[in-house]
Amino acid sequence: MKTGVILATMACVLMFSQLAIGKTYNGGADKSKLVSISQLLSEAQRYTTQTSTIQGTITRVCKKRGCWMQLASDKKFQSLRVKVRDGDMVFPMTAQGKTAYATGTLKIKPLTLEQTNQKRTAQNLSPVDTPEVLHLFIPTAVTIED
Amino acid sequence: MSWFQLNRSLHRDIGYFCIGMTLVFAISGIALNHIHQFNSNYQVSRITHSVQLENLDLETPYFENQLLQKLALDDTIKARFWPDQTTYKLFLQTSTLYLYPSQNKVIVEQVEPRFLLRQLNALHLNEARAAWMWFSDFYAILLIYLALSSLFMIKGKRGVLGPRGWLVIAGFAAPAAFIYVYSL
Repeated sequence: MKTGVILATMACVLMFSQLAIGKTYNGGADKSKLVSISQLLSEAQRYTTQTSTIQGTITRVCKKRGCWMQLASDKKFQSLRVKVRDGDMVFPMTAQGKTAYATGTLKIKPLTLEQTNQKRTAQNLSPVDTPEVLHLFIPTAVTIED
Repeated sequence: MSWFQLNRSLHRDIGYFCIGMTLVFAISGIALNHIHQFNSNYQVSRITHSVQLENLDLETPYFENQLLQKLALDDTIKARFWPDQTTYKLFLQTSTLYLYPSQNKVIVEQVEPRFLLRQLNALHLNEARAAWMWFSDFYAILLIYLALSSLFMIKGKRGVLGPRGWLVIAGFAAPAAFIYVYSL
C-alpha cells in the first residue's frame, strides 16, 4: 500500500515536471526591443552593450545539451547562434522550425585563421586568408512560439 | 522505542521513499555521462531520397506540394531557410527536409524525444526549476540522513566498528584519490 502511494506520488511529480517545462525561459523575451538579425550584425559593436530582442526561425539546436540554437536571419544565408551556459536554458531539439524571440546582448568572439577555415569548410565555403569573428547572442530571456 | 530502533525504522522508510528519486538521478546520470556516445534525449532518424532538384525553382508552393507528394509526406511546411548556397531547409510540423539541389538529394530528418529518458534527463538538469530544485534539495538531505544513519544500523564489531568499517573508508578514499590524482 505504502509503496503504491509512493510510486503514484513519484509519477505525479514526473508529470508535473513535464508540464513545467514551458516555452518561455526567464519570463520570456521582451518583444518591445525587437531588432532584426541583419541590423544587429551590421551594428554589432553597439549591441554588445545594448540589450535587444531578436526573432527568427530556429534552424538548428544543440543535439546533446540544448545549449545553443541557430536563428535564421531576415537576410538570405545569414544566421545567428543563441548560446547559453550548459543548463541555464535547455532548448529542445523539437523546436526546429519554430519561431524564437531572444532578449540579450551580442558577444563578438575573434576566431583564429584555422578556426575560421574549419567553420567555412563546414558551411561549404572556400577558405580565406584572414580570420573572421564569430557572433554569439547571449540571451537573458527567450520565448519559443509555434 | 529506543533511538536505535527509531533510527532503523526511519532509515528503512526514508530508504523506500528515496527509491524513485535515486532511480531518476542514477539512470539519468549514466545517460548524461555518456550523451556524447548515445543521445539519450532524442532519437534522430535520417532517410536519404534521390529527387530531381537541379534547375528547379525551389521557392514555390507548386514545387513544395510536388516534393511532399513525392516523399509521401502528409504534412505542411511552416518555415524555409537557406543556411548556405548549397543547402535549402524546409521545416515541417513533424520533420525537417534538407535539400541539396546540386546533388539532387533530399534528406528527411525526424526527431523524436526518447520515452522517459528525455524527462529523466530534464529533471536531472533541473529544467523544471523552482519547485523541483527544492524537492531535490529535500532529497539530498534525506540521502545525507541515509548515509549517516547507516553507520548506526548494527551495533558492535558486526557494524562499522568491525572490518566493515573499511568499506566506509574506501567510500571516502575513492573521491579523495580522484581529487589528488587530478589535482582538483
